[in-house]
Amino acid sequence: MLSRVADSLYWMSRYMERTDGILRMLRINYASSQDDLQNFSWKPVLSIFTYLDPGGAAAIAHRSRAVLQYMVTDRENSNSVLNIVTHARENARSVQDHITKELWQCLNDFYHTIRDEQIVRGLYADDPVSILDVLIRQGVLYYGITDITMARGEGYAFLNIGKFIERGVQSADILAVRFSDTQFDSSLTDPSYWKYLLLSISGFEYYLKTYRSGFDARNVVEQIVLSANFPRSILYSVSRLQLHFQRLKGDGNREAFQRIEFMIGKIHSKVQYSTVYSILNQGLHSFLISIKEDLSEVGNALNQYYFAYT
Amino acid sequence: MQTTELLNNYLVDPNTWDEMYSLSSVRHQYEGVVGVLQQMSVEELNKKEELAKRLFMSQGITFTVYSSGEGIEKIFPFDIIPRIITAGEWNYIETGITQRLKALNLFLKDVYNNQFILKDGIVPCDIVYSCPHFLREMHGFPVPYDIYVHIAGIDLIRDADGTFYILEDNLRTPSGVSYMLENREITKRLFPDLIPKNKVRTVTEYPAILHRNLSSLSPRQTSQPTIVLLTPGIYNSAYFEHTTLARLMGVELVEGRDLVVDNHRVYMKTTGGLQQVDVIYRRVDDYFLDPLVFQPDSLLGVAGIMSAYRKGNVAIVNAVGNGVADDKAIYAFVPAMIRYYLNEEPILKNVPTYQLGNPDERDYVFSNMNRMVIKKTNESGGYGMLMGHSATDEEIHRYQQEIVKDPRQFIAQPIISLSSAPCYMNGRLKPRRVDLRPYALCGPEGIRIVPGGLTRVALREGSLVVNSSQGGGSKDTWVLAN
Repeated sequence: MLSRVADSLYWMSRYMERTDGILRMLRINYASSQDDLQNFSWKPVLSIFTYLDPGGAAAIAHRSRAVLQYMVTDRENSNSVLNIVTHARENARSVQDHITKELWQCLNDFYHTIRDEQIVRGLYADDPVSILDVLIRQGVLYYGITDITMARGEGYAFLNIGKFIERGVQSADILAVRFSDTQFDSSLTDPSYWKYLLLSISGFEYYLKTYRSGFDARNVVEQIVLSANFPRSILYSVSRLQLHFQRLKGDGNREAFQRIEFMIGKIHSKVQYSTVYSILNQGLHSFLISIKEDLSEVGNALNQYYFAYT
Repeated sequence: MQTTELLNNYLVDPNTWDEMYSLSSVRHQYEGVVGVLQQMSVEELNKKEELAKRLFMSQGITFTVYSSGEGIEKIFPFDIIPRIITAGEWNYIETGITQRLKALNLFLKDVYNNQFILKDGIVPCDIVYSCPHFLREMHGFPVPYDIYVHIAGIDLIRDADGTFYILEDNLRTPSGVSYMLENREITKRLFPDLIPKNKVRTVTEYPAILHRNLSSLSPRQTSQPTIVLLTPGIYNSAYFEHTTLARLMGVELVEGRDLVVDNHRVYMKTTGGLQQVDVIYRRVDDYFLDPLVFQPDSLLGVAGIMSAYRKGNVAIVNAVGNGVADDKAIYAFVPAMIRYYLNEEPILKNVPTYQLGNPDERDYVFSNMNRMVIKKTNESGGYGMLMGHSATDEEIHRYQQEIVKDPRQFIAQPIISLSSAPCYMNGRLKPRRVDLRPYALCGPEGIRIVPGGLTRVALREGSLVVNSSQGGGSKDTWVLAN
């Protein structure tokens, strides 16, 4: 397929995954902010998903409506949901002949929804959770339509490669930010802290079923980094990345394929053959940073070997 | 309000041929549609209009106006009442356009090679050589099967007596065919069963015919030649049409930056390396096609593509240099071309055209300015046009000065009272002026014209200008089977 098309599909998918992550984060954190005895701080969320400097972040960190406004509909925020959905939709628009008509229409609808005046107003005047749910559902539609209608060809492979790279990076970010805020002592933070962290990545129920005995930071690390069954874990993301990358084998460009296959394999082994103990020994923060860097290198290599068309 | 009132209150302009009403009764080809309309309430019709708008928006059949970094989606206005053409009328149009297109292709071959028509004095040399779209680079240039115009949009209008006239030829990158296709799809949703009941001929074969023609032009004799559609990109107002055609034909949609020329062959940059291209259906203008030959700062084209084209390693549709044949001053000579090349009388007539470079004709026009339309020979989209009957004295004077300065840039035609067709506007039926653009496809096996085409409507009351940039809209066009 055209390099430009592969590039557009890859980024469209990354943007949609990012949108999903942001919306879920916002939804849960808003609920948490309504529950907090101390002054709830949005700083961690802002530092994962925006490029605000510490001063700018501090200005709105305690004002939920302002954060929602900035992160969902602010045109000046390059990572606002509005801008990201617009980018995804424009990408889809420029490769319409490579996605199904249903998929294009779904993104087009999402684009029009988030620009709807009623949405904007509802977010600031009414119950924001209802609005966020509307937007999350649009994102879920996108996943469903992609799964059901897209042919399993090269395009589908690039969509998934983008999705799982973005997911891996997001999960690493979420863990890194949370844990840099606290000293690593599992008894220090109160249980609702872990509850909301897990809720924001839809991992609460899984945790309860797997680790019945209350909240322990070590278990949270194990679930988010090492679990093969939890769909947002880093191990899961990298495994799926590896699987979907295999689909590109035999499409010419053998040297490039082997190089990137090697890089992905290394990351997979690094995660698969770690234990909570080994990670904490190395330092959780430095482990997560190294994973992020490795994934970023894979992205660069994809750019260099598959997408370069200028 | 009942719809019988709608029809009773339909007032046709004087001295105008109305597509639906003849003097006192509904023309027989509209009886089916009128019958259905009479059974619907105004609320139902309003709902259908809403449905049409929603369908256009949700399917992205929009063109985007980019201003201050934001894209604003606009729908090309659509009127729900179809415009109907009888089988007999269509036969006449079809034979006329086929004849005209044959002559135009012969003209292009001639004017870029032996130039017999110039040497025999049928067409003046100076008009050809002063045409900005006459490209000397195409002189002696071989093109496959000597076909220059593969896709033509020929604009027709109807005068007060119902006669069809050719208003204009569009032989470079004619657009609007996607609206022809989408309007039909929308009408099927709005009025179920109406199309089969009225025996309307299908238009959906257009992409298949075009694809077949494109394949047959491939220089490499393979069973699956690589065909691409070259688009200027998503910021182009016709981008929706480019994606639609690419999707319906199953060809790759590319931009200039996806292509590269190596050793006089054109290649696409793919994830699997370079893949050779055989046929390019390009929607990029001649001037932007090759920065090594034409406009040097063009980012839309491909450097070296003309050399690959000249060597016969790639076919380009439509050929480069067709603009000399759709120049409005050359238009006046097309009937002469038909006689010269085909030895036949033109079936479809031209609108009388006055060459303003000729002093006698210019004087005549100047003394009859309020019955004339003045057009710039090389503009499109309804720009650079003066409607004499509604212009101010100051505008008329300004145009006259421009004409005297550079007469070659202008032609004049008497104002034709375009035919009108019923439009559903704000709960009422109103007559609005229409034209017709059928799309003709020319391939090695002959010329085929899809029955119908795009009917454009001048939505503003009293306006005779149908271009979309000037507030025009479109209708679904039906050609009946018998």
